[in-house]
Amino acid sequence: MELKKAATAGTMESGDVMVTLCPAQEGGVDLSLTSSVQQQFGRQIEAVIRDTLRKLGVEHAQVTAVDKGALDCTIRARVAAAVYRSAGETPERWEEL
Amino acid sequence: MIRLESCPAPPPARLEEYRRLLTACGLTDEGDGDQTVLAVEEETERLAACGTRRGDLLLQIAVGPCFRGEDLAARVLSALMAQAPGRPWMLCTKPENRRMFASLGFSPLAETADALLMEHRRGTMARFLSALPQFPGENGAVVCHCDPFTLGHRHLIAYAAARCAHLYVFVLSEDRGAVPAADRLQLVRQGTADLPNVTVAAGGPYFVSRATFPAYFIKDRSRVEAVRTDLDLALFGRQAAPALGIVRRFVGEEPYCPVTAAYNENMRRLLPAMGVAVEEIPRLGDISAGAVRRLWAQGNWEEVRSMVPETTYAWLRSHTPTGP
Repeated sequence: MELKKAATAGTMESGDVMVTLCPAQEGGVDLSLTSSVQQQFGRQIEAVIRDTLRKLGVEHAQVTAVDKGALDCTIRARVAAAVYRSAGETPERWEEL
Repeated sequence: MIRLESCPAPPPARLEEYRRLLTACGLTDEGDGDQTVLAVEEETERLAACGTRRGDLLLQIAVGPCFRGEDLAARVLSALMAQAPGRPWMLCTKPENRRMFASLGFSPLAETADALLMEHRRGTMARFLSALPQFPGENGAVVCHCDPFTLGHRHLIAYAAARCAHLYVFVLSEDRGAVPAADRLQLVRQGTADLPNVTVAAGGPYFVSRATFPAYFIKDRSRVEAVRTDLDLALFGRQAAPALGIVRRFVGEEPYCPVTAAYNENMRRLLPAMGVAVEEIPRLGDISAGAVRRLWAQGNWEEVRSMVPETTYAWLRSHTPTGP
């Protein structure tokens, strides 16, 4: 999917993650992650974000994520929502993620 | 339950309560916000928390003493930031709140005695600066509005360029003047194109913007005592100067505007301690951008022409004055 504009999804409240995407032409996925559970789950969260972007066909993006202990399913949903908002598209099948 | 309300400014009915909440958190209402989010306790209609956005700056984030530990700062900030996704967000808070906002993804940019400026994505300002052409040696800087670019600005820039290895000219990016920001930038570029060691760049949110130095853009400039200039100067001294090798800042003398005069005075007081010398240059005759704007509005083309370069003159001739 092609990112067209900056978009955000989620919040910085406990149990949630706020994901902000900015379109980029190159440089892959440039991810900046802040997490309340960085020590324990930082790598896992990063892998989930990158995996979701890959499945949605996003190759290049500047991603800022502020995680407050979100579950993987929440992270996937927030990343996907931000991607769809950025692309200006409506999802047909969420379950693919 | 807490309900969030988003409004351009706190409604009059809530203003007193709003200011009380800020005072309880050691903050004051600076006014002039673009958007305010209020968190209201539904059962009692009490104001629980608040936050404001002004340009790219998030400020006056306050949570009432009875409502701490309920994640309200995070809710308010999320609501403010969702309104304009992907902005280079900065946040102004008190130094003691550093850890709380660090947990929300903010990292420090500059600090003064009673205020801390943070950015939301670490390295955003550093990337803004590293995207500019880099030059070795002892460089200088001029930060100017150039509304419009006059022979006075040209004199200041030429003087400065002759006294440093390379000169950065940062043109203010806010569209609050008589000439649009993109045109002002273009006119400075054209008017200094013959100076080989000058780089003209947009100041963005980092050089005298509504985020860093709001008073500059407020029409009523009499309340000098309430003016906050130290954050803008700390950002310049702590971030821009070391990144670009700037050791000297040049500024035009300001006999008219008390806010700019106060800014210049603070510059002389604060920047040398951060390794930046300040040089104030006397004005070139009676030339000022304000005078040019007045003459432009009057259609006094002969006088206008005596104060601006040909490129600015041509631009003014083909545009109708809108502002003061």
